[in-house]
Amino acid sequence: MPGPPHRGRRPPPGPETPELYAPSRCYVKRARPSAAGRVVSYAGMIDGRRYFEEIQVGEEYESPGRTVTETDIVLFAGLSGDYNVLHTDAEFMRQSIFGERIAHGVLGLAIQAGLFTRATQPYATLAFVGLRWKFKGPIKIGDTIRVWARVLAKKDTAKPDRGLVTLDRKVLNQRGEVVQEGETDLLVERRSGG
Amino acid sequence: MAGERHYFEDVVIGDERVSTGLTITEAHVGLYRGVTGDGGEHPQAVPELLPLALSTGLGWRVPRPPLAVKAFLGFDWEILQPLRVGDTIRTSSRATTRRRMREGGVVIEEREIIDQRGVVVQRGRFTFLIEHRPHAT
Repeated sequence: MPGPPHRGRRPPPGPETPELYAPSRCYVKRARPSAAGRVVSYAGMIDGRRYFEEIQVGEEYESPGRTVTETDIVLFAGLSGDYNVLHTDAEFMRQSIFGERIAHGVLGLAIQAGLFTRATQPYATLAFVGLRWKFKGPIKIGDTIRVWARVLAKKDTAKPDRGLVTLDRKVLNQRGEVVQEGETDLLVERRSGG
Repeated sequence: MAGERHYFEDVVIGDERVSTGLTITEAHVGLYRGVTGDGGEHPQAVPELLPLALSTGLGWRVPRPPLAVKAFLGFDWEILQPLRVGDTIRTSSRATTRRRMREGGVVIEEREIIDQRGVVVQRGRFTFLIEHRPHAT
């Protein structure tokens, strides 16, 4: 689609030329340098992603907390189809070793993945390729969890444009107890592109 | 407890069970992102943990009473191929190890997620603690 008609240099935006700048495509769809000199993408986000070279072994991150609610568990049962009594039958669970319904293990894992994105600047991740995970204790309704993570290892891969980053992660509750832990493997782009 | 359940004593090593299929839609992706805060931005890309989450439900949709899971202890998992909205997955699983313990039995299950082309897209090993069959009273 051609832009609005104009001759020579486009005049600077101002109240006297609103019609030229009113169409959203003038600003939203065109990448332009921001004040920091970074490129603003289509979605308007700054590409502040961290590439394989920039990530250092031993870096640690800690996320904000998130309180796991009954709603989260009900929605996750509906999404996954996992209606196991552990997560859905309050009366049955009153008699169990947990004393009440508990969150699905994979719900805790997925919330952890969401919290991780809020713990640090995003990686230039190409793919999440594997994990080794342990469920150590229950997440109960009303518990507040957060994730702690540390870069454990960096490895080269067969493809030169990416590398493998292994993170050690722990999911902690409000009492500081580790409820889940494990390692995750991410394929991260190299800035140099190999 | 009403309803038939599949106890540790009922688990047979090597028995393969294939679930029904499930087509992954934008609704699954949107709901997953909303609940968890995980999963990137591209509307057609399926977040890597979503098929795993769906497999935990598909595991119940096999011709067998639900497994009397006492606790899900852990798993190792590989993500081999990306999935897109519109792909249809099913799971195939079989028990490979069972170990009797006092408070239940540990069962290790190998699970694969297979797409509509028959390609294994994710696979791994789950460890469950399963209840003993209660003694008849």
